[in-house]
Amino acid sequence: MNLRRHAFLIVVSALIAFGIPGILRAQGANEQMLLHPPADSWPGYHGDYSGRRHSSLNQITPQNVATLGLAWAFQTDQSAPLKSSPLLVDGILYFTVPETVWAVDARSGHLIWHYNSPASQGEHIGNRGVAIYKGSLFFLLPDAHLVSLNANNGTVRWKVEVADVGKGYWTSMAPLVVGNHVLVGVSGDFDNLTGYIRSIDPETGATQWQWNSTPPTGTPNQTTGGMAWMTGTYDPDLNLLYWGTGNPTPVLNGSTRPGDDLYTCSIVALNPDTGKLVWAFQVSPHDTHDWDAVETPVLVDADFHGEPKKMLMQTSRNGYFFVLDRTNGKSLLTVPYGLVNWSLGVDPQGRPIPNPAKEPTPDGRLIAPDEGGMTNYRSPSFDTKNGLFIVNAHPSWSVYFAKPADGVYGWAGADYGVWGKGVIEAIDYQTGKIRWSHEIGPESGAGVLTTDSGLTFTGDGGGNFLALDSSNGKTLWHAGSGSRIVSSPTTYELDDRQYLLTSSGGVLFAWALPQAQ
Amino acid sequence: MNFLLSTQRLSTWRGRARLAVLLLVVSAAAAQTPTNNTQSRSGVKQTPTVSKTYPPDLVEQGKALFRRDCSFCHGRDAGGGESGPDLTRSKLVTADVDGDKIAPVVRIGRPDRGMPPFDRSDQQISSLVAFIHTQQNIALTGVGGRGGVGGRKGVDPSDLQTGNAEAGKRYFEGAGGCAACHSPTGDLAGLASRYSGLELEEQMLYPRHAKSKVSVTLASRQTITGTLAYMDEFTVGLIDSTGTYRSWRTRDVQYKVDAPQNAHVELFPKYTDADVHNLMAYLQTLR
Repeated sequence: MNLRRHAFLIVVSALIAFGIPGILRAQGANEQMLLHPPADSWPGYHGDYSGRRHSSLNQITPQNVATLGLAWAFQTDQSAPLKSSPLLVDGILYFTVPETVWAVDARSGHLIWHYNSPASQGEHIGNRGVAIYKGSLFFLLPDAHLVSLNANNGTVRWKVEVADVGKGYWTSMAPLVVGNHVLVGVSGDFDNLTGYIRSIDPETGATQWQWNSTPPTGTPNQTTGGMAWMTGTYDPDLNLLYWGTGNPTPVLNGSTRPGDDLYTCSIVALNPDTGKLVWAFQVSPHDTHDWDAVETPVLVDADFHGEPKKMLMQTSRNGYFFVLDRTNGKSLLTVPYGLVNWSLGVDPQGRPIPNPAKEPTPDGRLIAPDEGGMTNYRSPSFDTKNGLFIVNAHPSWSVYFAKPADGVYGWAGADYGVWGKGVIEAIDYQTGKIRWSHEIGPESGAGVLTTDSGLTFTGDGGGNFLALDSSNGKTLWHAGSGSRIVSSPTTYELDDRQYLLTSSGGVLFAWALPQAQ
Repeated sequence: MNFLLSTQRLSTWRGRARLAVLLLVVSAAAAQTPTNNTQSRSGVKQTPTVSKTYPPDLVEQGKALFRRDCSFCHGRDAGGGESGPDLTRSKLVTADVDGDKIAPVVRIGRPDRGMPPFDRSDQQISSLVAFIHTQQNIALTGVGGRGGVGGRKGVDPSDLQTGNAEAGKRYFEGAGGCAACHSPTGDLAGLASRYSGLELEEQMLYPRHAKSKVSVTLASRQTITGTLAYMDEFTVGLIDSTGTYRSWRTRDVQYKVDAPQNAHVELFPKYTDADVHNLMAYLQTLR
């Protein structure tokens, strides 16, 4: 009896210690969880709102990472590669490919439910994942519809159109939930279309506001484009939403859109409640090389040259690393993080000055980097411990062509990559100097995750998952994945066990330290 | 109908597969019945073939599927999009007969070039094949092909004739350092008969198909040399003189890679655009 009473007390204590937060979390991802994600969650595309992809988890360390082993794997049994960052809420992982969402037990990798909505229209190039708010998921379909699903079982709550697929729009990004707003952006580079970010009511699907990055199609001497096809970040203290916008259209021919082409290739700060623009910083004025500025606008609070600053950092597709004061959008640092040959330098506002002689021509211009850029959709990470901005970079060369016969619609030219490679670079954010670099063979689509224990997780161009020492870039662990990696790693802790999640091809892998059976 | 055999390119489908594909193309093209011989825009003799028409329903179905799964990389009109080659100028498409070349690429993908495999039914692949061939026919007859909206556009050999061959020769022999490895009467003799237009320029800038040699020294001091077949941080693999693949953990051996094509990478930041065009003009004289 004594033993039983003892056991009862332990259970009661456990309920008090863990049960109450557990009950709260069973309501799904509330505002508090999104603002301060617990260790057993990854409730948004970037994990938290900062876009740093830096975890405080420290069970897996530089000393023990060599013993990391497979905890489980989930096979999607279909051919679309996984590009999404799995969300984790209440022990359930949610991840996607175009048209499809899987809900999987984060402890075992077994399927809980599966949603599929065949869409005959729209680009099926990829999907980066869902957003969650309370008990609902938000998922963008290739045909530019947003569907809300019940997170318990995948049933449809509502479905709304966010753009006209018939005009050439599609959607692929993971929505971002901020307060009572589901924020979505659109894609569409093959037509001269206006890019925008739209805020949608999580309960009803009604549009709350829309911010257009470019004027309406057909406005004389004005650009179109500026597609907001990646997920932004958010500063709750400033109540500002930060988002990158895509390239102008026509893409390679700038003749019909003289000037800077605002707000394409820009980092914009919006009020999430109204959609009003607060400031904008253009990283590529008058782009003619398809260099979207949609790469994660990473939010960092730290000293900059001895002064505490609220900063925003981006390794942009155009080859430059930008540090901005995110309260006002003023430049703190602009410096290339690889070889670029398309600019005449940097203007007093910190913007690269495009060299007109490097615009595409009928006989071709040799350009660094290539169209895919010095980096792209893959997430970088800011290692708060070492003060390093770590990015999977792609030094590269290409030839860009455009001639009158190519017209002024959509692509309006041609470009051909001739050479490139992959390098993981650790950038000192105060100077832009490369602290260490780690060659990874051909270009890799793997993003970066850093942890407080001093680890950098990423992947190489041969499909190996890698763990590097964040202080010097040395390899500490690897595992061949059997396919190309085009996703960013995440991590979480469940049952006192830290998991690393990576994916390649159609397989999601969960890694953990060995445990007794 | 003239298929521009010599001017097509495999673009981003690079590397090892390329040579094999070229061989396939040559044999397939030779098997076709020529109806007449004509000169292409590049001035190189073509082997024409008879175009096939496909049922409109099948083409429409293929178009819808192509827009879903293929058009981001290959363009909506199959004329090239972000990163993917222009299929209307693809040698593989030209050589394809009812999907015999295209279907395996769709099903297996090009893992080395970032193209994923697509698990599609025979009927779906037939529709894609019908659409791709139809787009090629349209592009080659000039009916809407170059005007096909939105997609990446082609580069004609005539676009690449702005250089000065004399200046290119001086660059080849002097500043470019090309003559250190290449000779117009040796390895480059007849180059312009083998390559033309954009394909020649791409080869000139970086010869993707060039093989590297590697010599691996084992702990026993035995040295094995061969053609580099695989290399990452952890594994080095080669094809030895008997045609056998062998690999080692990099930590267990010493190895030395001989990749003279890397000299091309060192040239990139040194070129002016005029150097590129002049060199191109000079190489086109090596017939």
